[in-house]
Amino acid sequence: MSLQTLKVLEAFLEEPMTQLSGADIHQRSRIASGTLYPILLRLEAAGWFTSRWEAVDPSSVGRPRRRLYRLTSTGLKRASEVFASFNRSVLA
Amino acid sequence: MNQHDPDSEPPGTGTAEDSRSAAHGIAHWLIRHAARSAPGPLARRLEEEWLADLAARDSAISELRFALGCFWASLVIAHEYCAAAVAIASPASGEKLTLSKFDGETGLVPRHWTTVIVVIAIHIAIFYALTAGLGVSFNKLISTPFRAQILPDGSKPVPPPSLPHPTLTEVRIDARIPEIPPPPSDPEERVLADPQPLIGALPLPPVVPSHSVSRVPGGPGTGFPNTDDFYPSAAKYLNEQGIATVRVCVDPSGRLTSLPTTMQGTGSPRLDAGALALARAGSGHYRPSTEDGRAVDSCYAFRVRFQLRTEDTH
Repeated sequence: MSLQTLKVLEAFLEEPMTQLSGADIHQRSRIASGTLYPILLRLEAAGWFTSRWEAVDPSSVGRPRRRLYRLTSTGLKRASEVFASFNRSVLA
Repeated sequence: MNQHDPDSEPPGTGTAEDSRSAAHGIAHWLIRHAARSAPGPLARRLEEEWLADLAARDSAISELRFALGCFWASLVIAHEYCAAAVAIASPASGEKLTLSKFDGETGLVPRHWTTVIVVIAIHIAIFYALTAGLGVSFNKLISTPFRAQILPDGSKPVPPPSLPHPTLTEVRIDARIPEIPPPPSDPEERVLADPQPLIGALPLPPVVPSHSVSRVPGGPGTGFPNTDDFYPSAAKYLNEQGIATVRVCVDPSGRLTSLPTTMQGTGSPRLDAGALALARAGSGHYRPSTEDGRAVDSCYAFRVRFQLRTEDTH
């Protein structure tokens, strides 16, 4: 697993239940869009993330609706396992 | 949000619009074209998603960087989804994503091969340019033949000057062998035999009146924040525990005089950050160090223990 993927997961682990758009994840992880979106699609295809469109009316909020990503229960479990093993290997 | 015709040329190029709107238009144009090069089912979703995230950017440079990144992302996604693609519901429905096998005849594989062919063609062109075009130019450049000119040998060899024959004179040196008294067989005997001169030769240190300062180091004092309030939620979730040693510099009123630093970390960057945040929040609640009962400026370290309770563990 790449460092960029770990950064994306870490952005979610601060608040595991939160839903973040690509722009939010970029702000938290500082990963460029060219790397970020392929990672999001990979994690979504692997079942770690699920995504849905933001339930807002673009005309009322004055901006287009965003695609929101959320960790699935599987993703939450696997991500915590990855970080636990990562910390163990760093400390060892 | 500006809307542009995706089939048109990049807006702002060659117009009198200001640079911000030009960059905005170029970013839109790039994103639309990038999304179109993504696999079919993803194209509409990525276009809407990227345009929405583009609206969150606050500067023209940031928008352009984002659009270029999306362009690169579309290439990566198209490459990765050659074998398997993500089939999603229409953006309007917002349903969940499912995986399906991607049909290889939708144009992605030919595009891949096109890229390979283009790369091979570029290599052939460079090779041809080096061997034919540049080679000819180089030959023209050095077309003047080299001519070797042998100079006539008109000078005769000059014999080296004759050196005077060296004459050796005999020099006599009278050297006396110094008389060195034999050393004592045991060095300790010499010291024990005459100790007084040895002691007397050493300079005595100046006599300094002794004064002991009663120094009491400081630490977290009354009203210091609770460690649990600075336990990062992510660290709790990952069952991370540990003890961090934090160094602080405090004035006599118990306030920090510089930013605290971590002397020994816990191994978790989240816990270390929590310990530093706790140390910063405690400014004004530190107990200063004292010398002879008087509060003084000082630096000292204390430990912050992050330990999960039973109800915190997952």
